[in-house]
Amino acid sequence: MTSQILDILTSAAILYVVAAGLLIVFGVMKIINFAHGGFLTMGGYCALATADLGLSPLFAIPISFLFGAVVGMVVERLIVRPLYSRPLDAILATWGLGIIIGQLITLIYDRGVHFVQSPISGAVDVMGESYSQYRLVMLVVAILFGVVLAAVLHGTRLGLMTRAVIMNEDLARGLGIDSGLVRFVTFSLGAGLASLAGTLITPLSSVDPSLGISWLVNAFMLVLVSGSSLVSLGIAAVVLGGAQVLISSYANPVYGSMAIVILAAVLLRVRPQGFAND
Amino acid sequence: MTDRHAPVIATVGGSAASKLQFGFLAATLFGLALVILAPYALDTYTMNVLTRSLLYAILALVLDLLWGYTGILSYGLSAFFAIGAYALGLASTHLGFTPLIAVAAFAAGLVIAALVAALTGWLAFGRGVTPLYVSVVTLALPIVVKQGLLSGGVFTGSSSGLSGFESFDLEIETWFRMGGIALVILTALCWIFVRSDAGRVLIAVRENELRCRYLGISTVRVKTWLMIVTAMIAAVAGYAYAAYTVVVAPELAGFEFGTEILIWVALGGRGTLLGPVIGALVIDLGSAYLGGSIPYVWKLVVGLAFVAVIVVMPRGFLPLFSSAWRWLAATVLRKPVAVAMDAGLRLVCAPAQETISAASGAPSVEIRQLSKRFGSLKVLEGIDFAASPGELVSLVGPNGAGKTTMMRCIADGAERSGGEITITGHDIARLPPERCVAFGLGRKFQTATIFDALSVADCLRIARTSHETPSFVHRETSLALPQAALDVITATGLDRMLGVEARQLSHGEKQALELAMVLALEPSVLLLDEPTAGLTKSERMLIGSILTRLVRDHALCVLLVEHDLDFVREISSRIVVLHQGRIVLDGTVDEVVGSALVRDIYAGGHA
Repeated sequence: MTSQILDILTSAAILYVVAAGLLIVFGVMKIINFAHGGFLTMGGYCALATADLGLSPLFAIPISFLFGAVVGMVVERLIVRPLYSRPLDAILATWGLGIIIGQLITLIYDRGVHFVQSPISGAVDVMGESYSQYRLVMLVVAILFGVVLAAVLHGTRLGLMTRAVIMNEDLARGLGIDSGLVRFVTFSLGAGLASLAGTLITPLSSVDPSLGISWLVNAFMLVLVSGSSLVSLGIAAVVLGGAQVLISSYANPVYGSMAIVILAAVLLRVRPQGFAND
Repeated sequence: MTDRHAPVIATVGGSAASKLQFGFLAATLFGLALVILAPYALDTYTMNVLTRSLLYAILALVLDLLWGYTGILSYGLSAFFAIGAYALGLASTHLGFTPLIAVAAFAAGLVIAALVAALTGWLAFGRGVTPLYVSVVTLALPIVVKQGLLSGGVFTGSSSGLSGFESFDLEIETWFRMGGIALVILTALCWIFVRSDAGRVLIAVRENELRCRYLGISTVRVKTWLMIVTAMIAAVAGYAYAAYTVVVAPELAGFEFGTEILIWVALGGRGTLLGPVIGALVIDLGSAYLGGSIPYVWKLVVGLAFVAVIVVMPRGFLPLFSSAWRWLAATVLRKPVAVAMDAGLRLVCAPAQETISAASGAPSVEIRQLSKRFGSLKVLEGIDFAASPGELVSLVGPNGAGKTTMMRCIADGAERSGGEITITGHDIARLPPERCVAFGLGRKFQTATIFDALSVADCLRIARTSHETPSFVHRETSLALPQAALDVITATGLDRMLGVEARQLSHGEKQALELAMVLALEPSVLLLDEPTAGLTKSERMLIGSILTRLVRDHALCVLLVEHDLDFVREISSRIVVLHQGRIVLDGTVDEVVGSALVRDIYAGGHA
């Protein structure tokens, strides 16, 4: 029982970390960034590269975030900006970008599967059950993600501008807010977070060029049922991630792997705003 | 049907049509000759690859109908391809291969694909869902089908799929020719279809779905049927793929493959039919040849080209080539190139029909205890109202009084929070706009809502869809419109601009066109939201006189939202004043205009 609750909470935490970058891009720009999967993969390889250089795995955290953020800046300027008025085309273009990232990684590293040494391994005792220490760390990381993002949104000037753009972009622009800058920073932050998430999940899975794709679809579904709220994303991650864990353990892992997709599709049909409360 | 002897109001175009038909016939015959003769020139390997590419090109073709023409971005066409392929693979593997089983498997594939497509359409095109939701459903579909195939154990062969099952024993040349002929004929049929009157409806749905629904077209039905037909064609292509390659694998269903089809269509040129076909052939053949020697680089190049096309030239490569050809022909060869024009078109008057309300004797609109809330905010409350044929009722009131909201509630059963509404005696319950239109309602929006990419004539013809079922194969050469619509068109000079693309019209012409489109429905109740906003004084007077004549001569019931009180005073037979979501006054022009209450409301005082 304890381990099942922990499974649900840590799975939700991982989903939250993986989807957070996609959510802020969607929330602010109303654009689905399908290169999110590519950015996740990139983060995985950042962890690998850091390990290959013989650096401590902790270095991978700032490296992958910065790398992702810089790539995000370039991508925003070249690809995303011309497509603001064509959101469906933006999905396609960013999907194409994901292909490009995947192929570049394959050209550099080949298609093989790599493993990265985890900085924290082993199990720890939780209420009489031994449980993976790294998964528990992810729980803390997810909470940190939520707290830091909320602090940025509610405690900084840029955050205030961002919230204004989320609520009413035309009005915000009319008040002299540089929404182009907000979009630029948001996309870059989203890409950085995606890359960071890719690094953070490497101890739990192998690193290969298709690392991000398997996560992309679930993250996409979670974001659509959450709207643009970090709180809704938390709820969605717990509910849908929980369903995934329970269905996998009581029914069959294959059904579990489809749980998020199917539940999200049904939920959005019945309640188009999903877990968001408007 | 159209009366051939009716007086012709206007004509447009004509001579280019026969030339276009000749070119089409020549191109089709050339295509057929090419695929029949090609096996003599090709080596076995190329023919082998191309046979597969031809089947893929069929997928690109039908995706172009869905996405390029109708605007439905589907990632899930691959699922239907896999359904067709596995129908044969499973049947042949488990039941053996006999002619009867081959036919049964074919039929089963078609039926399952159609059912799954109907379910997908029912999910994807539901009411109130966001435009992104289609992407959610069409992403979920291939994932579910693929996972299902992966978890099928021995029955589906799991991740390795099924292979080596018995199939049709045909020469490679025969396979190639069959695939080629199927592709050429299907392309030709699609070409005829998209140029027919029914094909225009697809473009209208893409351009402005809301307008279509308010013209009485059930866009959900159009899109679901298109989904079903394209799914069945994809399933046939999948069946042929399995029969030819004798290998089926779960990857056929995956959304990665579904997205690859999108890439072919985008690169070739969405909305051109030929572009997607060429895109699929070139890229798949390229993958077969270059994918071996420089595998990752080839995919990288395709990815780069895809992103570049989406960002820089969303119409794809084919339009680029055709405009380059036109430029070359015009400047180097000094030969004028015929540009495809509208077929000859005659504008005639449709025989007058008895309007619905005049027949039934019921009030045109009746509203009881209508309320509308957004959360705790009450926008409309306790509205009781009725209007009869021959009345022109103006709704006035300050901004935020609920005028436009009231219009919305009358036109769409899903809008209101409480109360009952009948139109020409029919309870609108929770019915969608297209059903309300069928009861005799016509709605003109505040901003001109037309089909930008279609010609004026096509916009008007789409408006007649519910009166005259459009042809799937040809374009009607005459356009019959009711007298009221003709009056608007002739008075505003639109009759001389039938061939002009609607986006090129001026603001006033667009407003007039939309009014004519709504009148083409022959409505009994007309809802007009600020029809004169942004018009010149003379255009305003013209619309005013047309409206009063409609009310007088055709016993129409018009509900008008208007800020221009002078205009209201001139044309109304009754005025209703809304304030803070309630009707505060309902009376004749003199009663309302002389009322102290109205002056108070407009002066910002407390009523």
